[in-house]
Amino acid sequence: MSLSKSEIERYQRQLLVDGWDQERLKSARVLIVGVGGLGGISATYLAAAGVGHLRICDSDSVEQSNLNRQILFTAEDIGKPKAALVARRLSAQNPEIEIEAISNKLTEANVSGLASGCDLIIDGLDNHSDRLKLNKASFDLNIPFVYGAINEWLGQLSLFNPPQSACLACLMPEELPSLKPTPVFGALPGVIGSLQATLALRYLLTGENPVSNALLIFRADSMTFETVTFERRPGCGVCGESCR
Amino acid sequence: MIIYLRAGGQLREKLKPDVDHYTRKVEIDGEKTIAEILKDISVDSAFVALIHVDGKLKDLSFKPSDGQTITLQPPVSGG
Repeated sequence: MSLSKSEIERYQRQLLVDGWDQERLKSARVLIVGVGGLGGISATYLAAAGVGHLRICDSDSVEQSNLNRQILFTAEDIGKPKAALVARRLSAQNPEIEIEAISNKLTEANVSGLASGCDLIIDGLDNHSDRLKLNKASFDLNIPFVYGAINEWLGQLSLFNPPQSACLACLMPEELPSLKPTPVFGALPGVIGSLQATLALRYLLTGENPVSNALLIFRADSMTFETVTFERRPGCGVCGESCR
Repeated sequence: MIIYLRAGGQLREKLKPDVDHYTRKVEIDGEKTIAEILKDISVDSAFVALIHVDGKLKDLSFKPSDGQTITLQPPVSGG
């Protein structure tokens, strides 16, 4: 897949980056589920970087309480569907790529169809239950899964690509009690969404997983990063021995 | 022996830190699991999503040794 003159000009600064392969990015297909605080940021950077096909899924419409952190939206967008808005904004930012907007809610029944044909899945969700559905589809379809989550002053992320690594259910197999609404300020999903995008680009460019079997935790109150390592669980209900 | 429990988020308030903003010093008699220690200090383990010590994941059956700091991670599920 060759690059046009316009693409070479658009991407000239990143083409200087050691190991960069723009044609590889151009041929990549990525599913982003949820385009709020986290997913809106990762979608923006993947679009700007020239990932060739983005499939954006979000069933929500913009609410006023989103505007402290979901910086792709304005007050005029309140009540409008997020997926279509993000697709329109990112297409304007980078008309060289294809963006597919899907305004459906993620379910066990549709998750495999949503992910099918993609090279990578990015989590922009706001609850653990739906993340476990994405994780299962990731394992079933053998598509790596970039996980990210935030709460108050804490953010965390990883990349799961079993069988090479553990999966999300090896780490947190159960539903998590969640606070509604989640306490969050805008810069935190900005940081974690940017790290998810960085991890995704690194994986798409090289196939490497620098956080295999590791959870990267950012503590915004102390401005510290911490890495917690873990192992694949033989009894995991998703990627364990009985599931292979 | 003395151990240190550290928590952030909503779990921090339940832990009632006394060493610094995040850390509570706990004196325990002999070997105990994290589950037993949390029960002794009336912290509901349902609010603990992850436990880690020195950068390694542990679970509620982990028995800390003298002087160890155990980090209790609350559920982090927003986006």
